[in-house]
Formats: sequence, C-alpha cells, structure tokens
Amino acid sequence: MIDPPEVPGRRTSAWVLLLHTVTFRQARSLVPAVLALGAARGFDGGMVTVVALVVGVTLLSLLWATVTWWRFSYADSDTAVVVTRGLLSRSVRTVPLDRVRGVEVEAPALHRLFGLVRVRIDAAAGAVAGKDEELVVDGVPRAEGDRLRTRLLTRRRPGVVPGAAVEGPALPPPDEPEQEIARFDKRWLLYAPLVGSYLAVPLAGVGALFRLLDEVPDRFVPEFGRPDLADGTVAALVVAAGLVLLVVGSIVGSAVVNWGFRLVRRGGSLIAVRGLVTRRHTELEIDRIRGCTVSQGVGMRLVGAARASALVTGLGDAARRGQLLPLGPREEAWSLAGRLVADPGPLRAHPPAARRRAVVRAMVSGLLVLVAGAVLTATQGWWPVLVAGVVLTVLGVPLGLARYAALGHAAGPSSFAVRSGWLVREHTVLQRRAVVGWQVRQSAVQRRAGLVTVLACVGAGSGGYPARDIAADEAAGFARAASGSWADTLTPAG
Amino acid sequence: MSAPPPAPVREPAWSLSRSAISLWVAQGVLTTIIEALVVTALIVFVPADAGWWTTLVRWGGPAFVLVTAVVDIGVQPRLRYRVHRWEVTEEAVYTLTGWLNRTWTLVPISRIQTVDVTRGVFQQLFGLATVAVLTASSQGTVRVPHLGVDVARRVADDLARRAELVRDEAT
Repeated sequence: MIDPPEVPGRRTSAWVLLLHTVTFRQARSLVPAVLALGAARGFDGGMVTVVALVVGVTLLSLLWATVTWWRFSYADSDTAVVVTRGLLSRSVRTVPLDRVRGVEVEAPALHRLFGLVRVRIDAAAGAVAGKDEELVVDGVPRAEGDRLRTRLLTRRRPGVVPGAAVEGPALPPPDEPEQEIARFDKRWLLYAPLVGSYLAVPLAGVGALFRLLDEVPDRFVPEFGRPDLADGTVAALVVAAGLVLLVVGSIVGSAVVNWGFRLVRRGGSLIAVRGLVTRRHTELEIDRIRGCTVSQGVGMRLVGAARASALVTGLGDAARRGQLLPLGPREEAWSLAGRLVADPGPLRAHPPAARRRAVVRAMVSGLLVLVAGAVLTATQGWWPVLVAGVVLTVLGVPLGLARYAALGHAAGPSSFAVRSGWLVREHTVLQRRAVVGWQVRQSAVQRRAGLVTVLACVGAGSGGYPARDIAADEAAGFARAASGSWADTLTPAG
Repeated sequence: MSAPPPAPVREPAWSLSRSAISLWVAQGVLTTIIEALVVTALIVFVPADAGWWTTLVRWGGPAFVLVTAVVDIGVQPRLRYRVHRWEVTEEAVYTLTGWLNRTWTLVPISRIQTVDVTRGVFQQLFGLATVAVLTASSQGTVRVPHLGVDVARRVADDLARRAELVRDEAT
C-alpha cells in the first residue's frame, strides 16, 4: 500500500463540470453512436427527437463529468504527487517528485473564461513513450496551476548532478530571474504557407467539413446547382480560391498555434509559452538538453526559414514540447541552437560513393515503373506508363543529388553534428555526453560501395541520429571523435 | 565475387554457445513439420479438379517445403552461428548481427540502464539464455541471444555491477 499523503487531497475547481459538460468531454465518445443510431432510424420524430437526444446526451455528460470530478483528487507532498481517481475501481497513482520530468500548464480557450488551467505532469519512464505516462490535473485555478508547477519542478533541483553542464557551452549564470531568449515576430507567420504541417491545417479543415456533410442526412443538405465545369473561368476561380484558402488557412493555423510565442530562461529551465486560443506553458530543464535539431522543409529552404527543437532526455511528446522556435528565420534558429550546444564546426561532405548510391536509390522506383511500362507497351501497346517511368527516372537524378547534398557530419571538441533529408532536412547537433551507444550498419550494397551508416543512439528525441553513408574507414574515427575513448572498441585491429 | 572489402569496424571476439546451432536446427525442424502438415492437408482435402492452382500446390508445395527444410536445417543455423558475435570489453558491450545487412552495436557500460536475462521455452530445453542490455535510447539496445545459462548469468551480474560502479548520468 502506498503511504497516504500527509496533505489532504485537493479537488479541481467545480467550474470544470460546466466545461466538461459543454464540451462533452466524457460523453464525446457517445455522440457518433447516437448520430449513427439517429441516422439508421431516421429522425422520424422530427425536431422533438433531436431535442430529446441533445438534452439526453447533455444530461449524461453532466452526470459523467460530476462523477469523474467527485472521484478525482490530487495531492502533492514533499516527496511525491498522488492522483486518485476512478468510479468503481479506484486508482491511486503516486509519482515520486524526482521522476517528474516536465510540467506543462495549458489553458484552452474555455478554461481561460473561468481562469482555469490544465496541468500535465510528465512522468515518462526510460525509453517507453506513451500518453498514459502522463498525469493530467484538469481544471485548477491559474494560481494553483503555477504553484503546482513550481512545486513539482523546484523540489527536484538538489537532485541535479553538479557539473553536468560542464561539457555544454557556457550559459549565462542561473541566478538571473528571467531572461528572454526568443520572441515570435508576427512577420514570421508569412512563412507558414511554405511549411507542410501548417498547410495541412486548412486541408484537414476542409476534410472535416466534408465528413460532417456526409454524416448529415441528405434532407438537411441544401441543394446547390451543379456548376458548369466546362467553363474554364469557373475552374480557374475554384483553383484560385482553393489556393487563397490554403495560404490564409495555413497562416491562421500557424497563428493559432504560435501566437505570442516566447522562450525565456528562468533559473535552470527554459520556458516556452505559446498559443492564441489554448495557451501552453512548457518548461524544459537545461541540464536535460542533449542537443538540438534545426529542420527545414523544401519550401522553408527557399525562403530561408527553419524551426528549431531541443532534444531533451526523458521528455514525453518531445516533438511538440521540445520546440524552441516553431517557425522563424534560419539565423534565429541557429543562434538559438548555438546557445544550447557548441558548434562542432563545418560539416564534412560524404564520399563520392555516397552520391552514386543516393542517385541510384532515387532512380530505382522510376526504373521499376519504366520496366513495367516497357512490358505494357510491348504487350498491350499502352505507352503512358512508359513515359511516366522515363520522367520519374530522370527526376530521380536531381532528387538523388539533392539528397546527397543534404548529407554531412562533423565532430567537434564537445559536440558533433549530422545532417540528412531532402523533403525535410534535419541538421542535428548533439553534445558528446548525449551518446549512449553506437550502431554501425552496413547493407550488402553499402559494403560493396565502401560505405556505412553510423547511428548515434541518444536517450532523447527520436532515439537515434544517423550519419548516412559515410566512408567505411571513417566510421570508427567519427564515433571515437564524437563520443569518447570507450568507442575505441570499434577501431579495427589492422 | 571478388574478395570482400575489410569490415569497417572491428569484429567482436566471441561466438555464441554451440548449443545455439542445435536450437536453430530444432526450430527449423519444427517449422518444416508445420509446413509439411499444411501442404499435406492441402493435397489431401482439396479435390484435384478444384482449379488450375491445385496442380501448383501439388508440385510447388512439396518443393517449397524441401527447399526451406534444407535452408532452415542445413544452412541457416551454421551461418547464423558464424555471423552472431559478441564481446564485453573493459568499457563497453559490443555485438555484431546480420549476414547481408550487418549491424554492429556498441554500448558503454557507464550508460547501461538495465540488464535483462530471458529464457524462452526452446532456450530452456537447450540450456540457453538471452542477455539484453538496455539504455535510455530506444535504439541503443544490445541483445545477445543464445548464451549458455551460466555464461549469461555471469555476464549480466558482471555488467550490472560494473554499471553501478561507473554510472555517470545514464541518459
């Protein structure tokens, strides 16, 4: 049995009941079922049935929210945070404070109306990633949220190993109260249409709209006159409108997520705040930062934009939480990265064999289509596939060259870097201490070409960062230079 | 084929237990038996005039079983034994796996988080065990399959003890 906390359990604010009822938080899973039921039976009773359904679902939701709220309590003691919940099967979860790896305070729009926040406590264990590693305390007043955050994070300070930051570059002394490192410039929103993930926002919106239209019974869908598609101007107008929608949608989407982004340093932590509708407040411990990735998509490279994220050990949902600069000019991203990890110097190009391999790999899919097309042409006299194959094969050459151009690696005195990728070029700089292992991979093709892929295993970010296709005889040297003398084990005897 | 180019990095020094060969042979025999049963069932229960593909099953099935039997029992176990290598040095655990696509993995003892010893059903029959060395990285896991039980225990204890002694921040 777990020691009962000496502090009495605290409850979340009762306002959260209203919030959860309005948003159908718990009953949300019922809505599609009810809709499906309604659609199957047909809304025969007309308005009355619909109203009854809505009222029923709302009441159910209120009931559910009340029970959840009533059975939920949390307590923070000097050593642990305890969350108790569950209606029939009670679950008591105790997380020792030294296992708390991050605390995120977020304030969704409705929560802000009532001055409430949601606190996510990240207690991920080791390499296991998952949502259920997270404790969520939903709906406490802002002041209480801040208290919880500072309490959970400051308790841990003495446990930090002194001297851990020695290998890192010089950072300003930690006694400064608060220091702004980066601030989002509204002009950077203009980069958004060139970033894939923001472009996806309006597309997803349109997709959701169509899905909704599908769900609604046909009776309720207004009849549009079929536009005359033969008319070229209509088609052109539709395309133009679509483009405008994409551009505006992506800018709005990025504004919603990144509005008022600020990165400040307070004590030993970096704090990122962002969001227009939902304010998020993420805290990263500098001692846990092992490296930094600056990534640029194809479109972003055209205009010199980039995003930067920190690689933090034991950070759940790292892709979102680790963001240091969601979108901005390349120089800004690099200056941020430079503050966290020392620059290992200019990248070294990979051997010519790597270029050949990249080009061949990029052409393979085109060649397959080409062969299929040749067969089809010979047997059926159907040539379009052949043409597509030729085009794809030819396009493979610049693609392969571009992929090769993205490759690079470097090892400096206290850090090292690897870079790869064409669609999204990721340039990762890691501290030497980040490496928890090396993996050297060589396929049969690579063996003949005298190449290897050297993967630095890191307990942060995606877990492994590869230097693709470096010269085989360089592998051991790179690993040695990028980590430490223990990597001498790799050095061939001869 | 011309002489293979030298390995890019050093080969780990030690082989797995010889019993691993027996284990792989046993697994191969088991797979072959299952395949043979399936093919026999197909031949017995599917009427010969069910379609053109029955001929394919009648001739191709047994041939497939024969080929996989030769590979699984005769070739693969010895090849695997030659290919898998491992070593524990002063500072690190080091393994090599794979034949066509080779992977060398090196984990320093100071970064070891946990050491697991597991024994499957087959492994228990042949007195073998697998040692898995885990680090903070999801990709930095070293697995040495099929060591003799006593060797595996010794290695695991030794690694755990040394990891305790030299542990810096294991992340």
